[in-house]
Amino acid sequence: MFELEATVDMLLPTPQAKASTDTPEPRIEVVLVKAVLDGDRDSFGRLYDLYAPMVHGILLARIPRSEVDDLVQDIFLHAFRKLHTLRDWAAFGPWIAMITRNRAMDFYRRSKETVEVTEDLRSTDPGTSRANEILELIRGLPEAYRETLILRLVEGMTGPEIAARTGLTAASVRVNLHRGMKQLRAKLGYVEGL
Amino acid sequence: MNEEYLWDKSGEPDPEIQQLEQILGTLGYEPKPLDLSAEVQPRSRNRYLPLMAIAATLLIALIAGALWLRVRSKTSPQLDSAKIQSPKPQLVVPKVEDKKTNDILATASGKPSRDERPKVKQVRHPRTPETAKMTVSEHEQALEAKEQLMIALRLTSEKLNLAHRKAQGASPTQIRNQHKVG
Repeated sequence: MFELEATVDMLLPTPQAKASTDTPEPRIEVVLVKAVLDGDRDSFGRLYDLYAPMVHGILLARIPRSEVDDLVQDIFLHAFRKLHTLRDWAAFGPWIAMITRNRAMDFYRRSKETVEVTEDLRSTDPGTSRANEILELIRGLPEAYRETLILRLVEGMTGPEIAARTGLTAASVRVNLHRGMKQLRAKLGYVEGL
Repeated sequence: MNEEYLWDKSGEPDPEIQQLEQILGTLGYEPKPLDLSAEVQPRSRNRYLPLMAIAATLLIALIAGALWLRVRSKTSPQLDSAKIQSPKPQLVVPKVEDKKTNDILATASGKPSRDERPKVKQVRHPRTPETAKMTVSEHEQALEAKEQLMIALRLTSEKLNLAHRKAQGASPTQIRNQHKVG
């Protein structure tokens, strides 16, 4: 019952969340994509700066950390080549998020037998080692929760930013954050009593 | 847990979430420059391409239609002159040669023999509007013709049976289905 009430409260938009969704001005992505297609390569650099943390976070929720950085670059180069196929320029975020998810799946198809997800745990730095342990716990959560939670806790994005970048609704992001955090807390309490 | 802090980092900071942010922040994205020098410039989308494709299709269809009409107008006089006339349907009465059978059939039906009967001059289709307004004499003639046709058909059937029996090696007078007799 409490869970249901909490979910209903979260689905009701707060003034800040409402302000973030009711933005009438043209999206920066539209301007940047148009500029890139007109030959301005620097505009793609700005798109890269805007979306690289999101791509990094989505990959981190799925593949080993050591592979993430190279794959981020690959994904943006691929996006640059295929930018002319993007129909809705405002949907650059959801488009590149989908490319990223597909690339992560391809990664596992290609190297299913050779790569272990837990290899990051072998780090010698104690701080990084603990971070990797928590990351593993987050990776054990349902897909919808782990992606949102990593974007919030690892990449430092706020809920409205996650919604705007990934194309998810603010309400979905809010629910994913709440439920994901609840499950992560339960796991952390079980593991180390954080 | 402070929901507002988790949502947009507003309100009173949640110590648990802050601790997680601190630990996990070390795994976050570290900006690296993207090298696009080796990449080819992406093609710019031509927004008029679908319209141009539709226009081209319509143009081709128009040209094809005009050519077809031109070719058709050249060949049509020849087609008009080459009208095919279908032959009128004719009634074919089979020629009866077996006079003996003919006489037997004639006596059986109580009708005069073939030689004595009047010849049918004209047979019209019974469902045509012309036949609907037939006079009494015409109607009699039609009935007679019908009778004649029926006899001719019976005759043909008899002859076919005879030929069949001959082909099978049995005599024409042989009684069929002998096992049933006696």
